[in-house]
Amino acid sequence: MIRNFFILILVAAFATIFASLFLNYGSSETLTPLATYYAENGAAEVGAPNLVTSIVVTYRGFDTLGEVTILFVVASVIGFFLKKTKHNNEEPAKRESSEIIVTASKVLVPIIIVLGIYVFINGHLTPGGGFQGGSIVATAFIMLLMANPAFEINHRIVHAVESISGIGFVLMGVFGLLLAGGFLDNRFLPLGTFGNIFSAGAIPVIYSLIGLKVGSEMSNILSNFQAVQNEKM
Amino acid sequence: MDLISPIYIIAVSLGTGFFMGMPGKNLQRISFYLLMAVLLFNTAVSLQWLYALANQLTGPMQVFTAGFQPPFSINLLMGLNEAVITSMVNIAGLLGAVYMYSVLKKIGTGGQVVYLILLISLNVIVLSRDIFNIFVFLEVGSIATAGLIIFQKGIKAVSAGFKYMLASGVIAGLLLIGIIFIYRFTGSLNIDTIIQENPVFKQGALISVFLILISVILELKPFPANGWALDVYQASHPGFSAILSSVIGTANLYVLYKFSGLASETLFYYLSLIGLVTFVGSNLLGMNQDNARRLLGYSSVGQIGLLVAVLGLIPQANSNFKIIFFGLLISHYFAKAGLFWISGIVKKSGLKSWSALRKKPVLLFLFISFILALTGFPPFPSFFGKWQLVLELSAQGNIAAIIAILVGSFFEVVYLLRWAGYAIKLEPVSTLKIKWVKLIPVLLFGVGLYGAGYFVSQAIPYGNTINFIPLAIVAVLLLLDFLPAYIKNIISISATAWFAYLLFPDAGTLKIIFIVIFLVGGILTLIPGFYMKGKREGFYPSAMLMFGGLAQLIEAENLLQFFFAWEIMTIGSYFLIIRGKKSMIHAFSYMLFSVGGAYLILLAFGLVSMGNTGIGLELLSQIKYYPGIAMALLAVGFMTKTASLGLHIWLPGAHGEAESDVSPMVSAILLKAGVFGLILIMLAAGGEQNNYQWLFYTLGWIGALTALVGNLGAIFQEDAKRLLAYSSIGQLGYILFAFSMMSHMGWLTGFTYTINHFMFKAILFLAIGAIVLKLKTHNMYEMGGLIKKMPFSFIAVLIGIITLAGIPPLSGFGGKWLFYNAVILKGWYFQGAIVFFAGTIAFLYCFKLIYSIFLGQLKDNHRNVTEVSFWFLLPQYILIIGVMVFSARPDIILKPLGATLSNIFPAEQLTWNGTTALSKLGYWDATTIFMVIGIMFVILFGWLWFMSRKAQPVKQFNMVYSAERPERPELTHLSHNIYAGYNKALGFLVAPGITAFWSYATNFFESAGNFIRRIYSGNGQSYAIHVVIYTVVVFIIYLSTI
Amino acid sequence: MAIEIISLITSFVLMLIGLYGLLSDKNIIKIIVGFSLFDTGTHILIVTIGYLKGKTAPILDNAVGLTDVSQKIVDPIPQALVLTAIVIGLAVTALMLAYALKMYQAKKSLNIGDYKTLKW
Repeated sequence: MIRNFFILILVAAFATIFASLFLNYGSSETLTPLATYYAENGAAEVGAPNLVTSIVVTYRGFDTLGEVTILFVVASVIGFFLKKTKHNNEEPAKRESSEIIVTASKVLVPIIIVLGIYVFINGHLTPGGGFQGGSIVATAFIMLLMANPAFEINHRIVHAVESISGIGFVLMGVFGLLLAGGFLDNRFLPLGTFGNIFSAGAIPVIYSLIGLKVGSEMSNILSNFQAVQNEKM
Repeated sequence: MDLISPIYIIAVSLGTGFFMGMPGKNLQRISFYLLMAVLLFNTAVSLQWLYALANQLTGPMQVFTAGFQPPFSINLLMGLNEAVITSMVNIAGLLGAVYMYSVLKKIGTGGQVVYLILLISLNVIVLSRDIFNIFVFLEVGSIATAGLIIFQKGIKAVSAGFKYMLASGVIAGLLLIGIIFIYRFTGSLNIDTIIQENPVFKQGALISVFLILISVILELKPFPANGWALDVYQASHPGFSAILSSVIGTANLYVLYKFSGLASETLFYYLSLIGLVTFVGSNLLGMNQDNARRLLGYSSVGQIGLLVAVLGLIPQANSNFKIIFFGLLISHYFAKAGLFWISGIVKKSGLKSWSALRKKPVLLFLFISFILALTGFPPFPSFFGKWQLVLELSAQGNIAAIIAILVGSFFEVVYLLRWAGYAIKLEPVSTLKIKWVKLIPVLLFGVGLYGAGYFVSQAIPYGNTINFIPLAIVAVLLLLDFLPAYIKNIISISATAWFAYLLFPDAGTLKIIFIVIFLVGGILTLIPGFYMKGKREGFYPSAMLMFGGLAQLIEAENLLQFFFAWEIMTIGSYFLIIRGKKSMIHAFSYMLFSVGGAYLILLAFGLVSMGNTGIGLELLSQIKYYPGIAMALLAVGFMTKTASLGLHIWLPGAHGEAESDVSPMVSAILLKAGVFGLILIMLAAGGEQNNYQWLFYTLGWIGALTALVGNLGAIFQEDAKRLLAYSSIGQLGYILFAFSMMSHMGWLTGFTYTINHFMFKAILFLAIGAIVLKLKTHNMYEMGGLIKKMPFSFIAVLIGIITLAGIPPLSGFGGKWLFYNAVILKGWYFQGAIVFFAGTIAFLYCFKLIYSIFLGQLKDNHRNVTEVSFWFLLPQYILIIGVMVFSARPDIILKPLGATLSNIFPAEQLTWNGTTALSKLGYWDATTIFMVIGIMFVILFGWLWFMSRKAQPVKQFNMVYSAERPERPELTHLSHNIYAGYNKALGFLVAPGITAFWSYATNFFESAGNFIRRIYSGNGQSYAIHVVIYTVVVFIIYLSTI
Repeated sequence: MAIEIISLITSFVLMLIGLYGLLSDKNIIKIIVGFSLFDTGTHILIVTIGYLKGKTAPILDNAVGLTDVSQKIVDPIPQALVLTAIVIGLAVTALMLAYALKMYQAKKSLNIGDYKTLKW
């Protein structure tokens, strides 16, 4: 109890940091010069209506590469960390999933996957993008797992998708470097007509690759967790 | 010049990384080689940039991602700094992968990918100029770290990894808050833009910068909010601990360096404080560790703390900032990786089990090199870095920081050298199997360390004045260490002679005396080495390190050369002393006193350089700030070598337990290095009328008391070598006393004593050492009656003690005559009386020495002993000739010496009339005395021989023990404990009080460390709490300043 | 009260609650939940920073048009950053959970106090 009280005081003291930031927060009515630049030039330079996407995929595409990498690392770490040990793989008895979920999954899984793909392909036009789309795809996989706990994805395919989309992403970057202004420059493909699905240079391609990669990585992580869960402890 | 853009490091690595994720057995088989290929590529790219930028073949390169100018897109910068750091990262990454070959193979592609991505993330955080981008890749790195920790199987690694994740999760949160608010308050995420567009930060921005900096600092494991890091160092695979310590630490430090561009003056002050607290605190706690990797963890944390302190203390505009920073960093980098790697070869974690290295000389050599690099000895980069750091801090007048750095360094020396001692001395309990993949990285890092040392030495001011030839000779001897001892002995003797030959032409009288003592003495004491069989591994490199250092001491013309030589000599003598069978603990205590003394000297040199330009030795006479303190520090520093009262407790063990030919080296020769130093400062102080009267008055008292205590200690010894060792303490007390008089006669006395002590102590230690070697015991009561078995040794010892005791006609008497003159002229009657009293005590131990060993009853087991080796007798008799010459014609030396001294001390000179010396108080004709007593001796000896012609020799046991039955073997020896009565009366004056003081000091620090380290409770949550407390405390202090 | 103030306070409070949980709860899973709350708080904070009163989403659809864009939209940069931050948070949480699983497998305990073999 005393310990928790102490921690409460500590957290309260920590709140002074927030308080001092809050007191200095002020208010702003206009965009920062940086944001203004993106607002005024984003459409012309990058060609994507969704400015967030322009920033994520192109202006700060290098961050996004890091982001993809972080998921990739986690998937790899969890892969070898939770690797099934051979002597442990007797399958314990599993509870049957509920009828509702089983039935619903049959209907919903294809729809969810299509939605996910839609979201990442249209990332440069509407809210959404590779990460969002990829996550949606992964939820389809969760659904499958819930419907059938014994379900195992085909690791070879998932890994292949993950790898190829990753390599593709890096290659897009290198193309940008060789054919346009710099690493991850989207303008080595024509910008096309503003607002079309095939526009904004390489953005739709990159975002689709990211979508595939995120979807497969998350599925991968989940399947590793599931595999260990089935392990007899 | 067409260079490969650094962006390809990232593109190629990530592409390959993603490719390695492909399924397939074939890929699994080759993936390790793929990894190696990429790492090789990265190393090549960064090295090519390093080469091009260092030689100014190209300017720094900006990489604009996405083809837009910053701040609109993320940019990378490859400048010289970045080239250095990425090269360090990639080289260690490459060699680390080689080292971890088997574990990387076993863990499969997943693990290899994680390893690769860790290195990439480090490259990016070094190159990137965008704060948020750095955050992203810091996170990539920390996830990869969490993955690499569990390369090591078992719950220890897993729980350490979780502790790490908890702490780094909180830290990342702080960083993110800081970053988003800096965007809010400055409108940019690009470091350069933020600095350019905001010459003055608003308060909100100041707080944001604080959060950013504190989180990077927390990543660098500040004491005491670093418990998680220690567990990680201990629990991880050693290959990864190496990366964590030397590579991740380096990269994160560079991030701090970049971000520090945003910091205000106040924050720099905080950096220095945080760094110093970490350096001192962590090293204090390091002293309590007995697990090798945890100890290395503490040391790593400390070293990084020191570097943070450097960032805070030295302005980046200072032209020497880079060489200090990189000098210290690169030492840490090579040494820490090397040590962690070796820890994986040794496998066992206890410090004492490192004795297994003894059977692997190459590995042992590398281990010692790494330890010395961490402790800042020459010729390693850290030595030059620390040197320059101290000078810069002195220029700022920041003495407190220097003291903190020296205190922290001292703690570090304590535990690292204790560890080195275990490895050198303890009996190996296990044998090592070394795989070449594990050896190669260590070997290359060892080479790199020495190379870096030379490079850094040339880069610091006046570094090019250092003479590396003695070290080159040591290197040659190391390479030739497989040869038999006599060949190496010939090389060493020739090299010593060559040093002397080089030094002679430019030397004045004073220096010639020391050249003779250091180098001619060196040759004489090397001669017994011909008696030694086998290879004597390690002996000659150590000896030449010491003699090389001594030669350079004489040669030194500036403070750096002097300090360099001083340290070289110290290391060499340490390795010589520790060779004795029971020397581990004594060598350790010798080293602690020496290092402590060296740090005082360094601090004093800092004071000397304050406000002066250049670093010439002549500055000693023109100290501008705190001259008294500087001189006192120097005096105490040199007195650690002369073993003056209070600082003497290391000497009896170190000299007594050393090998037979090492004792004369360290006793007759090495002690004079301290005398040399004292003379240096006394000369700088000016003549008799100097500003430091109080200091020399005190030194005089210390000298007198040292003489008393040393001689008293000697009479109670049963161990012949310890007796001589205590006698050295006493003799050095006379010398200190004599020089402290700061008068013409005083100095003549001092030099006479110095020369005498050199000769008779070498004779005695050589004679006794040879006997000890023959009889295999140090105890005098186990000897006796050896006069007939070893007549030559007897004569040598006899002459030695006659000289020592100051009995006419030998030169010791001359010393006494000068001494009384000097004391009376100076008026130091009371101190003089003490010294006089000490002199009478000397008779007691001289008698004990010769009586116990050569007279009395021969022991049964010594019936068949013969005279000692010719190689021991030869130098003794050469020295005896020296004693005779100096006794008969002291004017040969004293006349020119007096002439030189008259420039310094014009008053009350000794005048010469032929061979007769005239002082104000009387005259002394050594030659006549020598002849008269010589003739008397011949007559009396002849008379005795004539009278005893008819005497009947009795057999040894033709006697009766007057009804006493000795219970213990030593009681059969008459001279055992003969001075028990004196012990009752005066024993309290001898050491225990002082020893108790030092052990109390040691215990105090050890238990303080033990108490503090309990905050590292092992609970991961507590570590997270520490992180939060640390942040809050620093913040609240900071808030009051903005 | 302006919406940004409410949002700002929400994010701060959420972070503090998360931090309290992270530092005080003994259960490893709950500690991870605490971390998640803390993390989510930072995400809300980031989005809040980009907020401008009365402006719309930074998507140049027909409603916004292509002229005077900077007068009409909220700041897109924090929105891009938060995406990255979310993914990072997700990755960290996933790995922490994997650790928790392994720790539980080894000692059958989720009490953080039971994992103190290494100390001092």
